[in-house]
Amino acid sequence: MVIPTAIFYLFAPFTVILVGLLADRVKYPKIRDIYAIIVSGLGVVSVWVLYNMLQDSTNHIIVVAIGGNPPLGACLEIDMMSIFMAFSASLLGFFATIYSYSYMEHDTRLTEYYTLLSILIVGMMGVAFAGDLFTLFIFWEMMGISSYSLVSFRKDQPGPIEAGFKYMVMGSIGSTVLFMGMALIYGMAGTVNFAQISSVIRGQPMNLWYYLVLVMIIVGLGVKSAIVPLHTWLPDAHPEAPSTISAMLSGMLIETALYALTRITFVLFEPKVFSVTLAGLSVITMSLANLTALYQKDIKRMLAYSSIAQIGYMLIGISAGSVLGAQGLMLHIFNHSLMKGLAFLSAGNIVHLAQSRDMDELRGVGRSMPVTSLVLFISFLGLAGVPGTGGYISKVFLFNSAMGAGYWWLTVLGVLNSALSVGYYLPAMYKLVGQTDKKVTVMGEAPPLMLLVCIAMAILVIYTGVFPSTIIGYADAASKALVEGLNNYIGVIV
Amino acid sequence: MEEIILLGTAFALFSIGLLCVTRANMIRILLGIEIILNSGNLAFIYFASQKSNIGLIDPLGQSIVFLSIITGGAVVSIGLALIVNAYKHFKTTDARKLRRLKW
Repeated sequence: MVIPTAIFYLFAPFTVILVGLLADRVKYPKIRDIYAIIVSGLGVVSVWVLYNMLQDSTNHIIVVAIGGNPPLGACLEIDMMSIFMAFSASLLGFFATIYSYSYMEHDTRLTEYYTLLSILIVGMMGVAFAGDLFTLFIFWEMMGISSYSLVSFRKDQPGPIEAGFKYMVMGSIGSTVLFMGMALIYGMAGTVNFAQISSVIRGQPMNLWYYLVLVMIIVGLGVKSAIVPLHTWLPDAHPEAPSTISAMLSGMLIETALYALTRITFVLFEPKVFSVTLAGLSVITMSLANLTALYQKDIKRMLAYSSIAQIGYMLIGISAGSVLGAQGLMLHIFNHSLMKGLAFLSAGNIVHLAQSRDMDELRGVGRSMPVTSLVLFISFLGLAGVPGTGGYISKVFLFNSAMGAGYWWLTVLGVLNSALSVGYYLPAMYKLVGQTDKKVTVMGEAPPLMLLVCIAMAILVIYTGVFPSTIIGYADAASKALVEGLNNYIGVIV
Repeated sequence: MEEIILLGTAFALFSIGLLCVTRANMIRILLGIEIILNSGNLAFIYFASQKSNIGLIDPLGQSIVFLSIITGGAVVSIGLALIVNAYKHFKTTDARKLRRLKW
């Protein structure tokens, strides 16, 4: 079996550490930063190459078997949905790496930082590409381990260490529970390949073991995707991490977990089995997160709670179990990665210059940073789902899909929650640009490279809102590959 | 009989691990995570041995266990590093004392 060259990108991050050590040796450390940016840019290119290969292939699926054919060897199975996820991850990773160039310049140990950041991006891409449970688990741990260390990167302060420890404990309990669930699936199906377990398990009458597996999967993946009540690590980890890492975690990592949840549950069970459970979790997740976000003082913590709320909206798409739902899910993952990435990065501009995250202390700071305030405002509008931004388009799809599945109450609660969320975005903006008696300490704008990244992302957010047809087309292909193309997905392997 | 003993042990280890991570001591929490992971490993080994039909056990389950031990080791090393740093800042390994971040 021919292995596409673009797959070898998954090993590229390990070269960052070599280049980093070399750059330190020749006393020109900026080589490392530039090389990390090039590597993350190559990620976008490699996903594009894979997309073109996918269009040329017969079944619109690329199967890469490493070390033996599917039952034995590791296997990557790439369909349109994987490409969509990997593209979102690599795009956000690219932006975050460019942003790091200016944002992290005062930190030390940058070789470790860039290596871990690229491994995080590749881990997300690998989870999206995985064709069997165990490959997924390896990339999952890769993603997890690099993010545990990145959250606690600034180890000279107590906050990141505490948040990182909490995240590490909860995240690895989640992974181990997932691993036990995988063992049970392996026991029932005799293999870990998605296609083969699907042909054995899917459609069987449910018994106790299947329910146990379902619970273990939801708990195992729900910890990383911050489904309430498993969300408690997130509001600690996101504010304490460097802003680029918050953007990566919030923009893509929790969505990657949601992607894995979608993939595994759709492959293993009929949608009617898990639909009601996830709809219930969705209601709890979005309501509780929105209510808690209302009384946050810390701007990044508020954004973290807002991420949990967005996960609640995305769960609507999974629980609908239809093409429309999956399409809304995909669209919202892409839009949310841009919007929340933008929100964290532009909040990072402010935090970087003002050295404070408290919104009362930041009162009036936005006035001296007009561009940052503008892009932050665009991202807030997008997150609240105001027409004209990408967030509106995806929320329409999500709430519409809940109606299609017969959960009218889910639509009502979703819309109400969406309205409630404006209640913390607008006051935050009001505080940032409002009048103040104190003398504002921050003067001037953020470094130009950071601003450039923010502006590019803001343009993308507006673009997906005003001209959504391109991204809707890709999301449509992705959701069809998940829901209607399942037999195709199984047939390629079995 | 073998089935009940092995699977029973796996689930017992799983419960012990879950109980262990609710404790206060950080090292004990980390050990609990390892115990849960090893319950999964044990279950994989048992299921691999059950799959044999020609007298050979399934190599898939065995290879999974090897790789999961590696990832488990990586997680524990990160965890220990975090505990060392937490001890430097908080002068304790009691996880309940880490209460600066709330809500």
